[in-house]
Amino acid sequence: MIAVMNRFKRFYYRVFQLDDRLLLIISGSIAGICSGLAAVALRLSLESVLTWLRPFRHYGWAFVFPAAGAVLSSFFLEKIVREKAGHGVPEVIYSVSRYGGLLKLRSSYSRLISSFLTIGSGGSAGPEAPVVMSGSAIGSNIAGFLRLNDRQRITLVGCGTAGAIAAIFNAPIAGLVFSIEVILGEWKFVNIIPIAIAAVAGAHVSQAIIPENILFSHHPFDVGISDILPSLCLALLTALVSVLFTKALRQTGALAKKTGFPFWARAVIGGSVVGVIGMFFPQVLGEGYRFIQSMISGDFPSGLFFTFAAVFAKILATAITLGWGGSGGIFAPCLMIGSLTGVVFYKILFILFPNIGCASEGAYALLGMTGLISGVMQAPLTGIFLIVEITGGYEAILPLIVVSSISCTMSHYLEPASFYFKDLIERGQFLRPGTDARILSDLNISELISRGYIKVSENMVFREFIEMLKTSDQNFFPVIDEKTDAYKGMIEIRAIRKYALDPGMYDMLFLNQIMDTNMLTASLENDLQEVLDMMEINHMDTLPVLDNHRFVGMISKTRILDLYRRELIMQTSNR
Amino acid sequence: MELSISDLSKYLGVIPDTIERWVRQGKLPVSGKAPDYRFRKVDLEKWAALHHIRLNFSDRQRLEKQNQADFFLSEAVRMGGIHFDIPGGEVKTVLESSIGRISNIPDDFRDDLLERVMERENALSTGIGNGIAIPHPREPLTYLNQALVSICFLSTPVEYNALDRRPVSVLFFILCPSLKLHLNLLSTLSFCLKNTQFIGFLKSKPEPDLLIRQIETLQKTCPA
Repeated sequence: MIAVMNRFKRFYYRVFQLDDRLLLIISGSIAGICSGLAAVALRLSLESVLTWLRPFRHYGWAFVFPAAGAVLSSFFLEKIVREKAGHGVPEVIYSVSRYGGLLKLRSSYSRLISSFLTIGSGGSAGPEAPVVMSGSAIGSNIAGFLRLNDRQRITLVGCGTAGAIAAIFNAPIAGLVFSIEVILGEWKFVNIIPIAIAAVAGAHVSQAIIPENILFSHHPFDVGISDILPSLCLALLTALVSVLFTKALRQTGALAKKTGFPFWARAVIGGSVVGVIGMFFPQVLGEGYRFIQSMISGDFPSGLFFTFAAVFAKILATAITLGWGGSGGIFAPCLMIGSLTGVVFYKILFILFPNIGCASEGAYALLGMTGLISGVMQAPLTGIFLIVEITGGYEAILPLIVVSSISCTMSHYLEPASFYFKDLIERGQFLRPGTDARILSDLNISELISRGYIKVSENMVFREFIEMLKTSDQNFFPVIDEKTDAYKGMIEIRAIRKYALDPGMYDMLFLNQIMDTNMLTASLENDLQEVLDMMEINHMDTLPVLDNHRFVGMISKTRILDLYRRELIMQTSNR
Repeated sequence: MELSISDLSKYLGVIPDTIERWVRQGKLPVSGKAPDYRFRKVDLEKWAALHHIRLNFSDRQRLEKQNQADFFLSEAVRMGGIHFDIPGGEVKTVLESSIGRISNIPDDFRDDLLERVMERENALSTGIGNGIAIPHPREPLTYLNQALVSICFLSTPVEYNALDRRPVSVLFFILCPSLKLHLNLLSTLSFCLKNTQFIGFLKSKPEPDLLIRQIETLQKTCPA
């Protein structure tokens, strides 16, 4: 029996440890299937609860639904699973860059439940970010179960994400692209294959359970060369709307925090406001897939002004839902706002040039969606592939690329950080692999310190010190209080050369009279960026490092460069 | 505001060749064509903020030149004064009567000063040989406004436990508000006392004005 175990272990080692590609593909597809199941479960349960609640929407008291949902959702997040509100994508990105993709097991279901409560009750949010969170947590925990290292865990987090997005939209390429473009941030050969397989696995799960093949089916569009110019203009419009949407999302959240209300009060207020908006604009409630479908099919009944107002109503409703305690993502709202923008643009275009002869209203709804996704997430490839896949509208690929790239560039110009990254950048947590910030945050001070310095007492006579100097190659001598071992100052040989060469001084001085007490010191708690700034501002090459007033060692630019370079090589190598 | 390559190289702390390479590689926001590159300050600030690079638009050299103002020994001797015929037969009494003579010390601090100087003598004698001692406290005297060097000639030589075991007849008190000044004055004094002519001159108990003038000429030859 033991012999069999040993042989199995040897086999496992030879197959998986030496080359982990097969292992990553197998575990990645498992992650893709699991997160696909989670995504499909959320989508189906949302559909059924929204259908079940629809008859009650006509009553005047229906505005309490979103309020109740938001309260339950925030209560669940705050008190039961104790996680932060919000959509969770920045947390996943941060965990990938800082903690090797480590995520809690409960994250794999917490956002699913809270966003089900928020969106099911009518809150304006999307189910995609929650399934991304859940999928990545599933991937991370599978990696934990298999005891994989950080690099492999990150791949599995990417697999979970790809599987979730692929399943909820039935769009495998969009899943792959989103996972790499937004979550991992680096196109690495070793990542792409497992993630692609996980995305396909997730999409298959979705196809097996939900019979319809394409999320938004439609008749083929007749998109031609004459649509390029209008799509240019549309791209500028979507860029503006994207920036507006991003700003609205962030400021409503900040406003809610400023009020100082308890979380349940915020949820009640926010939910009720969304409910009231929903009385006038029923389209804004929920994830809005049904209305997107009707816009793409070209049978969206409302007129220009109503549609125009609906764009802002949806922006407001989403901002309030997410900022005031609800839980969910911005993917579906982006699609909704994008298609509304596209329809508004088409209607205006049709009024101005009745005979322009460009494609239908549905095609512009499609282009608008791409524009918003690319503008808000600043992820142009995700925008293009997602729309192509969820609509099957491959004939519109050329204007899609135009709208996506222009909208992305324009909104980047207006608002340099995308919605997902903005919080991270503000907190200094945006650490993409191979960047300076990432390397500086990975190296910590205690790794960089040169230790083993001879310390001298402040009561030492200078002559004694000179004797010691003859046999030492140290350039810095930390001076300490011999009773308490506390750091008092530093003697830098360069600074005392004049006195060291004058024997008349030898018996006249104690070390406390000659040490430099003003030299800046770093502490073990400082991060490397702070230490480097300190060195740069004061034109220093070496700093003493203290821990609790005791001298630990010196940190020097030479040593930093040495390790920095090694770290850069490690991080940018392909394996 | 526009900057040239040489300005920018100063601010970034790199040589102009590096700047040119960065421009060629498309890493710096530049206006103008080679070789007459110009850089707009606004663009550079944006670029620096994006890449977390510190641009130092103030002058780098100025900082280092500060604190270099020399303080001369002769000046300190003028402040501290030269005193003759100090009575007393042993270390403590000569120090006490010397400190009593030195002006420019607040009266409340004289006892404290004596204690500190004695403490220093007990730890290690300041007698440097040739009948000269340099008594001083170990810690800077924060209550002083300026540095004082006081030269005291003793009426009778005193056994001082000096390096060469010879009795001491001249005391140079160094009293400073900061360690840096102390080091500076000590170093200049040590230079002067290496000069045998000066020591011979000192032994003749010269007139204060002559002594100060002598110190002035000597300290000029002292390497900074």
